[in-house]
Amino acid sequence: MSPKIGVVTFPGSLDDQDAVRAIRLCGGEPVSLWHGSDDLDGVDAVILPGGFSYGDYLRCGAISRFAPVMAEVIKSADAGMPVLGICNGFQILCEAHLLPGALIRNDVRVFVCKDQDLQVESADTTWTSDFTRGQMITLVLKNGEGGYVADEDTLRRLEDEGRVIFRYVNGNPNGSFHDIAGICNERGNVVGLMPHPEHNVDRLTGPTQDGRAFFSSVFDFLTAKV
Amino acid sequence: MARVVVDVMPKPEILDPQGKAVTGALARLGFAGMSVRQGKRFELEVEGEVTEERLAEVRRAAETLLANTVIETFDVRVEPAPASAAEDTDAEVSDAEDSGAEDSGAEDSGAEDNGAEDNGAEDNGAEDNTAAENVAESAEEAELTAQAG
Repeated sequence: MSPKIGVVTFPGSLDDQDAVRAIRLCGGEPVSLWHGSDDLDGVDAVILPGGFSYGDYLRCGAISRFAPVMAEVIKSADAGMPVLGICNGFQILCEAHLLPGALIRNDVRVFVCKDQDLQVESADTTWTSDFTRGQMITLVLKNGEGGYVADEDTLRRLEDEGRVIFRYVNGNPNGSFHDIAGICNERGNVVGLMPHPEHNVDRLTGPTQDGRAFFSSVFDFLTAKV
Repeated sequence: MARVVVDVMPKPEILDPQGKAVTGALARLGFAGMSVRQGKRFELEVEGEVTEERLAEVRRAAETLLANTVIETFDVRVEPAPASAAEDTDAEVSDAEDSGAEDSGAEDSGAEDNGAEDNGAEDNGAEDNTAAENVAESAEEAELTAQAG
């Protein structure tokens, strides 16, 4: 049986359908979840997709973080369920304190949309086990508020514990501290990143297929667990 | 009904790209020597008397939703509501409440600088009071129109 991966749609989500498609293309069973529901429909993992949930009102992810479905996502994440936040999903995970730090407006003050080179810094997470440390990959990056910030203590902890999992290379596109593109929680089951794996799963629509490893990683984890 | 104002500002060490853009625009327009940091102002119309408990509740609301304390600081203070601002005595009472709010607000922001800014804001508040009478009517009209719309 293929693993069931839930994709939450908030009002203003953009990339939920791309995430659903990527899960299917990579061999999983996508399950669409609604922000107003308080049930995860028995999924094995959850993806919070990119977009502009609640119009980015107040702060990116600040209102979505209190959507009914998030109470369940937080509970399940704390219990070890794999959760991936992509772009706006990363912002939501930070607002929900499932991940430390915050994302602020790009220092370049413009929306950035490009094929971004990244270095994989950690394969020790549920979502990155099919990468190897030091691997160079390219994923689509598209956001206006992707600058990762955190206080010095938090940054030091992230670095010391190997929880910076992706770093921007060949130029920092948005002013992120320590060139951080993605991080994980202590347990490694909650991962957030600004670039978009779901846009990089087939030759026709993406610059690479480097996004596939995210899905194969979590499938491996879920299959091994069963 | 009282108005509680929550000011939210990006922390000094956090880059403020919006403020930077505004600073640049001001310089281009010939407004020299002005450096801007941009924040948000929330006006909460609070039912009932604004007690210390009520202010503590507002602070919790600010901490929970209005501000992200990872990157922002906030400051809570009481302002005279437009309707009660017409009489000087009311304004004085509200000012007293203001300073009370500042004392308790200090523990949140932990920044004396903010307190200094607040004092300046009070001066402006006094001007607001005199203007408030004129504004009050049109504000009520606007509310009615909004409800009708």
